[in-house]
Amino acid sequence: MTARPAGVRSSHRRPAKRRSLVGWLFVLPALAFYAVFVLRPIALTFQYSLYEWDGIGPSTWAGPANYGKVFTDPDLFDSLVNAFQLIVFFSAVPVALGLAAAATIRRIAASRLALVARTVLFLPQVIPLVAAGIAWSWLLASTGVINQLLELVGLGGITRAWLGDFSTALPAVGMIGAWVLLGLCTLLLLAGMSKIDPSLYEAARLDGAGAWREFVSITVPSLRQEIAVCVTVTVIAALASFDIIYISTQGGPGNTTMVPGLQIYYLAFSEREVGTASALAMVLMVLVIACAFPIQWFAKDGER
Amino acid sequence: MITAWREAWTGRALLVLMMAVTILPFLSLFVTALHPSGTYPPGLAWPSDPQWGNFGKAFEAANMGELLKSSALIVLGVVPISILLGTMAGFAIGHLRVVGSRVLFVLFVLGLTLPFEGIITPLYYQIRDMGLLNTRWAIILPLIGLFMPFSVFWMRAHFVNMPGELSESARMDGANVWQLFRRIHVPLAMPAISSLGILLFLWTWNQFLLAIVLVDDPAKRTMSGALGAFQGQWGTDIPLLCAGSLLILTPTLAVFLIFQRHFVKALLQGSLKG
Amino acid sequence: MAGRGRPGRAGAALVIAMGTLAAACAAPGSNSPQPAATSASPQAAAPTCGTAPITMTGYFETGFPLPKALTTEFSKQHPNVTWNIREDQFAVITQNAPRVLADNPPDLMRLPQVSELVKDDLLKNLDGYAQSFGWDRWPASQLEQLRLGPGGRPRGEGSLYALGLNVSMTGVFYNKKLATQIGMSAPPATLAEFDAVLAKAKSAGITPIVQFNGGATGGLAFPLQNLMASYGPPGPINDWIFQKPGATIDTPPNLQAVQHLERWIKAGYFEKDVNAVDYATMMSRFIDGQGLFTFNGDWESGNLDKQMAGNVGFMLMPSAQEGGKPATMSAPLTFGIAASAKNADCAAFFLNWVATDQRAREIGVEVGGSRPMGPADAYMPEVASDTVTASTLAAGADLAEADGAMDFIANATGAIYAKSWTPNLQKLVAGQQTPQELLKAVQADYASQIEGS
Repeated sequence: MTARPAGVRSSHRRPAKRRSLVGWLFVLPALAFYAVFVLRPIALTFQYSLYEWDGIGPSTWAGPANYGKVFTDPDLFDSLVNAFQLIVFFSAVPVALGLAAAATIRRIAASRLALVARTVLFLPQVIPLVAAGIAWSWLLASTGVINQLLELVGLGGITRAWLGDFSTALPAVGMIGAWVLLGLCTLLLLAGMSKIDPSLYEAARLDGAGAWREFVSITVPSLRQEIAVCVTVTVIAALASFDIIYISTQGGPGNTTMVPGLQIYYLAFSEREVGTASALAMVLMVLVIACAFPIQWFAKDGER
Repeated sequence: MITAWREAWTGRALLVLMMAVTILPFLSLFVTALHPSGTYPPGLAWPSDPQWGNFGKAFEAANMGELLKSSALIVLGVVPISILLGTMAGFAIGHLRVVGSRVLFVLFVLGLTLPFEGIITPLYYQIRDMGLLNTRWAIILPLIGLFMPFSVFWMRAHFVNMPGELSESARMDGANVWQLFRRIHVPLAMPAISSLGILLFLWTWNQFLLAIVLVDDPAKRTMSGALGAFQGQWGTDIPLLCAGSLLILTPTLAVFLIFQRHFVKALLQGSLKG
Repeated sequence: MAGRGRPGRAGAALVIAMGTLAAACAAPGSNSPQPAATSASPQAAAPTCGTAPITMTGYFETGFPLPKALTTEFSKQHPNVTWNIREDQFAVITQNAPRVLADNPPDLMRLPQVSELVKDDLLKNLDGYAQSFGWDRWPASQLEQLRLGPGGRPRGEGSLYALGLNVSMTGVFYNKKLATQIGMSAPPATLAEFDAVLAKAKSAGITPIVQFNGGATGGLAFPLQNLMASYGPPGPINDWIFQKPGATIDTPPNLQAVQHLERWIKAGYFEKDVNAVDYATMMSRFIDGQGLFTFNGDWESGNLDKQMAGNVGFMLMPSAQEGGKPATMSAPLTFGIAASAKNADCAAFFLNWVATDQRAREIGVEVGGSRPMGPADAYMPEVASDTVTASTLAAGADLAEADGAMDFIANATGAIYAKSWTPNLQKLVAGQQTPQELLKAVQADYASQIEGS
């Protein structure tokens, strides 16, 4: 800020104060919507979580009992565990593959093919997750394309109904998520790479560094922030997953793909255990914040 | 030279492979949609007698005309209001820096990562008590609130970088705050606003959870929610379901292809800032 | 950073935000409107749909053409009535039922398990209509499953809360061509004979049973309950379903049934991907001749007669003992009226019309494939004797004679199917659950659901 003579400053004080009031008028409508449709429901979720309520009749005070249930009832706790397992697929796979792909693609970044790819790889981001769920359920069915391809390459022995098998249902759902998120991660990382100073690479080449050393010691550290963004977005997508699973497995077989989002929906609206649903919702919200903010801070600190 | 050549070609091959995997589900939907309705076509097999009529049938069965109208109404309700309120608040917090703007900012940021499932239960009872269940308002109003953290966050990021001198000189000319906002800052913010608009359009159009919980009538839902209902109703007829899914995702695809440059940029920036 | 707020003022933002939150302090549910308990009001004259234009809202099940066929015919006879019908799969209806009935009440709805709906006063008490339309003079067994005690427990007696569009019944359909191929000339008469046929089919390379068990719908509950009926009497199972005090599903005959089912699974009598097969896939496979048997209900008779004309047979599940009485799941195709439905009278008139109108009864048999409800001496449409519809109707008569009808174990509580039977049966298929533990787990869920409600 440029320094100003004291007189000017003081003469501005009253209008500044009024401006602040006017400024508040600018914020108020946004704040009102936010308070009514987000903050109030968050407070209510917390309140509901302390009661036992079927959503229709009167409620009874339950204290922290619902939270106890979230961590002791295997059905509820497993849904949290499943969500964390999904992170491997929603997060690790797109980020790792995205890094590899982006590093390779970078060399042809200006070609026509790369331009087409930018459009194509974005398609999964644009369509409704519901459509992705429908398309993939069909691909992964026992008569689906995936099994057809496997048989084609001589792997007929491992074909199965991927979404109906206890050991493969969760990974299969995870792969749908990876499909949706891979394009986004690749392009994000690619955009980040284009910002890396080329002289860094030249210097490394002169030192005789191979492609791998280059990747590890220049590319990855320079992409710190982009990687953090990819991880945050995908981790949240995993923890809060709902659409894909609602469409493809409904949590089955035998609860192997049950995730907190779907469990909350079932508990609140079909089993009508609003208290338990709300306790799980609180746990989910806290978990998401607990995962998202450290990653962001970590990236920001590294940058400064 | 040889390594460079080889690298370029592995890059190309990898890219083509990734594109193939990306396209595969769409291809499968398309091929399956052409099979006679009511059959269970195995894998990817071109039908002997492609049933192009399935798309017409699905259009009618899904009531696409109504759905398009409904989704458009919802988008028209959500996007302009969110942009207006988000821009105003972002302006006040980022540029005017009103008293308490830091606290306000933190308050909004806290909502940035909120999973919608977290508040869907109270939202249901709240909307019911407001008498809005089963109306488009049940989707529009909460979405404006739920998008507010991102809208404010996004617009603040723009306004924080606007030099203060800009406003000072306008004030000297006697402009009040609203004129300052309307005449000087909104025009300058148009790139940020249009990116925000694209993101909000996409997120509204594809919103599923609110639609299935708060609105029973598919004709009053978003496209995504309507697709959920379509699956409920026609899930027993795979070719028709595939045709319907394709029809329902066509509008976003079309909008995407028209504005693709903008889209990709907005989404990349959106996730970087978000 | 310039323009930083002084701490004293900084909290103002929060204060305002909190102000709006303060509204949320009363305990949940304390201010929500309680639907008035619907008591049976005696009707002077039987209600009708009147003559003024009226739009009825319906909430029906996907994939079953009967209700829509009936509403279409009804509008033909009563042109002032139009229908606004929403459809969902049964699992979704089960999930949505309470809140749809409470907050968006349809005039006519396909109902899942009704106990909790009655407990929460979400369904119209039909006693008044029963009196004025004379439903109470129908054979009592037709309405037994639809009667509930005060507060929803027990079921089987008390006030009437729903009606059926017909009475459906389950059993075993078989593909006649495949049956001849492996030398099965007549339906097996005992469980042992049935096992032998299954083994023969398996060794002939034919899938013995096509069944569904995927997603949220554990279709192995069909063969399981039939096996339960083979090993033991239906009475205790019905008591359990009706939530009679002290009833349990964990009984020795039921354990034998689950063990038998497990042997079938281990022997490979079901499709390999049964845990991923949904109902529609199962139907298309059976119609396509990809399996010898399928456990299903007579609601498919009409459909099968059309799609596999002359090639499909039906039998009731044979008993474990020779000459044992037949018993199986048989239940009205349950429809009810929301407690706060706008056009309850017209809905009741429609339900009565379904049971008594000649054309409606014909549609019920042709499209629905099951016995219509209604007075014992009501008009009975003729059915060609070589159809599977004829055999299911005949089996229905046998069943009534043997008093072997029971409700479906999936209908014991609102959540028991999705929450308990389905995951446990899926685990049984995957070898991750033992028969003993399966019954224990289901019984525990049942107990907690009844206690919790």
